[in-house]
Amino acid sequence: MGISRDSRHKRSASGAKRAQYRKKRKFELGRQAANTKLGAKRIHEVRTRGGNRKFRAMRLDAGNFSWGSEAISRKTRIVAVVYNSSNNELVRTATLVKNAIVQIDATPFRQWYEAHYATPIGARKGKGAVKVESEEINKARSNHVQRKVEARKDDAKVDPALDHQFAAGRLYACLSSRPGQSGRADGYILEGQELAFYIRKLKK
Amino acid sequence: MSEQIEKAFQKQQGIFQNAKVAGKKSVKNNRWYKEVGLGFKTPKEAIEGHYIDKKCPFTGDVSIRGRILTGEIISTKMKRTIIIRREYLHFISKYNRYEKRHKNLAAHMSPAFIGVQQGDSVTVGQCRPLSKTVRFNVLKVQKKVVKGAKNFAKF
Repeated sequence: MGISRDSRHKRSASGAKRAQYRKKRKFELGRQAANTKLGAKRIHEVRTRGGNRKFRAMRLDAGNFSWGSEAISRKTRIVAVVYNSSNNELVRTATLVKNAIVQIDATPFRQWYEAHYATPIGARKGKGAVKVESEEINKARSNHVQRKVEARKDDAKVDPALDHQFAAGRLYACLSSRPGQSGRADGYILEGQELAFYIRKLKK
Repeated sequence: MSEQIEKAFQKQQGIFQNAKVAGKKSVKNNRWYKEVGLGFKTPKEAIEGHYIDKKCPFTGDVSIRGRILTGEIISTKMKRTIIIRREYLHFISKYNRYEKRHKNLAAHMSPAFIGVQQGDSVTVGQCRPLSKTVRFNVLKVQKKVVKGAKNFAKF
């Protein structure tokens, strides 16, 4: 292949063409891009300089996502790639890269929330019959735990934009890891101004 | 706000913006800034402003180390970077005389410095490579003093 990361092939700052005076060196090497797709997990291990390893994720379907304002993380399925600020092609081909906006499965977060605060989240308003309160909310708790849960209820308020996403069962998240380097697709759930920004971009 | 011009959400990396709002703290500008050291004062605009610049020495991820140089601005046409001209005298021993030489330098200029024009004198500090030719970052601007400056310089 011969991907190299040197600057000797580029023109200098004054515009002068630099003559080639040596061959490509191993320490200047570059490798093929991973272009991690959405699918059943497939990771290749690469031996790198110094004997260290990189994990090139070729296909991934799940990742560890954090809900920042609640300070928890859960392993979740990645459902779809929704937006990429660099290249629309990467959205069409569902390629996972750092800072791609994806949709993730909301169930682990919903389960945590209902167990932690004992209040329903993402309840559909208006449509149809009132849903039966889930088992998580009504499960048997010891007296001490019940008192803690009651004390937390004041902080249980969730942003309406997030609530809306919970109702649909899909949350918008941003990837913060580099799948082609670490082999993982981890990220954080979009909230606040960032969420508003990307929702506006998606609407266009 | 108005600094979200790019296709990706611009934010300061490392500060968490979406903490659950308990009280009035959300009104304050949740901004991170640092002092670059070596006695350089960090500008008020860097602390109170809303711009996002990862290459800014005060609000971004670059450290100033190595050389500190000064020069005169000759061009501000690039986005957030300027060209500086540094003049010096080179001694020719055969004739026992000097000749004028100059070198141009590309430096990154943070949006914290507003109203900077061609001809101003500037102090720059060395940082890690920010682009193909930029290895310096503007730390201080000394505006050009125009004789009779009380009158309008241009209109």
